[in-house]
Amino acid sequence: MPRCLYLLFIFFTLNSFAAKPVKPAVKHDTVAVLKTDTAKIDARTFNVAKLNNYRKQPDFQYDYVETSPSWWTRLWHRFWHWFFHLFDFLNGKDSYSGFLSTFLIILKYLAVTLGITAIVYIILKLAGIDAFNIFRRKPASTGLLYDEHIENIHEIDFDAEIEKAITQHNYRIAVRLLYLKCLKQLNDSELIVWQPEKTNSNYINELNNKRQYNTFKTLTRQFEYIWYGEFPINHSIFNNINLMFQQFKNEI
Amino acid sequence: MEGEIFEQRTDLSKLNHAVEQIKATLAKVIVGQQDSIDLLIAGILADGHILIEGVPGVAKTLTAKLLAKSIDAQYSRIQFTPDLMPSDILGTSIFNPKTTEFEFKQGPIFGNIILIDEINRAPAKTQSALFEVMEERQLTIDGKSYKMQEPFTVLATQNPVEHEGTYRLPEAQLDRFLFKIEVQYPSLDEEIAIITQQHHRKTTDQLQEIKPVLSGADIVSLRQLVLSLHVEDKLLVYVAKLIHESRNNKSLFLGGSPRASLAIVNAAKAIAAIKGRDFITPDDIIYVAAPVLRHRIMLTPDKEMEGVTPDDVITQMIHKIEIPR
Repeated sequence: MPRCLYLLFIFFTLNSFAAKPVKPAVKHDTVAVLKTDTAKIDARTFNVAKLNNYRKQPDFQYDYVETSPSWWTRLWHRFWHWFFHLFDFLNGKDSYSGFLSTFLIILKYLAVTLGITAIVYIILKLAGIDAFNIFRRKPASTGLLYDEHIENIHEIDFDAEIEKAITQHNYRIAVRLLYLKCLKQLNDSELIVWQPEKTNSNYINELNNKRQYNTFKTLTRQFEYIWYGEFPINHSIFNNINLMFQQFKNEI
Repeated sequence: MEGEIFEQRTDLSKLNHAVEQIKATLAKVIVGQQDSIDLLIAGILADGHILIEGVPGVAKTLTAKLLAKSIDAQYSRIQFTPDLMPSDILGTSIFNPKTTEFEFKQGPIFGNIILIDEINRAPAKTQSALFEVMEERQLTIDGKSYKMQEPFTVLATQNPVEHEGTYRLPEAQLDRFLFKIEVQYPSLDEEIAIITQQHHRKTTDQLQEIKPVLSGADIVSLRQLVLSLHVEDKLLVYVAKLIHESRNNKSLFLGGSPRASLAIVNAAKAIAAIKGRDFITPDDIIYVAAPVLRHRIMLTPDKEMEGVTPDDVITQMIHKIEIPR
């Protein structure tokens, strides 16, 4: 065992001597060599002609040059000068006297009134207001282009009108009148409530009696085929429909 | 159909049969919502785009998907999100290194039935991409115009604007929708029927049960038929009066446009056709007035604060105008 320890001691001792020596951190002075720049430089100059050309252009002239006002500007200046002098009499600056002074005052008042009226008129015109009828009451109608013919079923003499339509062989109109007459009878009997904006199906649904409901539904269908469908109708078809309307009248 | 003593001038049997088939198909899955379904079918027949509004969970998207599935045409769906870009909808030009040329890659808008889900989740920039295609049925990209194939219909769903994360659609776009259909909560009976139907359902995919009943070509021909229906002159005046009233109504800040007048007439024709008539009546006009106008008109701020709805004002307007008879 002591031999082993001795061998280990010798091994580590020799190993430490065999190790490379650590260089000391000594800073050596280095000599800087300045390289000469050998690049070729082409000196460029501004094109004087181009520069002068730019200088002549108004976009690159920054100095304010006072120009004489145009005739239009002068005209406006005169107008505004005259306009502001119109009010001189308010401050007692008017130099005229007697009749001429009074006349000028009236003239100026008139000019001012006319000017204000013109401005108001232009504003109203631009706003789309009819300046001349501003205080006049307008009708409720919105000026529709179509013929708006409202009929009151209570004012029509149905028998006479139906007779007239039959005489003229205008069976389509005759069926329409028969239907309107039927609506009037239903309304008079308080089975429906007549209102112009109600549809035919509204009236059908107002009928509580099943029999009346079915008959009126059939009549409505015939009327719709003839009136809205514009199905051709002859004397024979009209007689059938007329008979159905008469029978329904007895049911009410 | 309706008039026993009058022979039909226009053969509407094919149209009525198709409508019945679509209704039967939708009824397999959808409970109630009869008015909404009628308006959806009318919108398709009137060649219009349809906006469906409702709170979450009232089957807006499902109804639109079912309707699209019942038509054998190219269907595509676009989910609108806040970061969606116009090119995501319309398409974009992509450089092809092989041909060294830009090639246009079509977006999902190229289809026949386009379902735009949650349309008001995208901002106005994205919405404006739809302006040209919805009105003119064509797209112009990089100076080249692309015509849409007929039929071309946009079905869009949206939550009410008061809901979180929604934008108000631009007026110009709203005006391009024929109808705004408001889907309400079901009644108690309907709610019970929904639960019962769902409970007894054998499959999880409801769309599996749906088979197309109409082709795209059928839709185009039915639209031509609807266009040819008769409208009496006095009814045209009535529609004009209604729209005129909307422009002069004190409760409204914005009234109906001429496009709204045309929309009412076309939609009324479709409703008349569904009812088996080849002419329209004032009832048809009144039936479509609210869905055509409610998204086009704008209430004044004071009326909005009072809690007045567009439908209230439309009802008032209708009551102001005499029925032509």
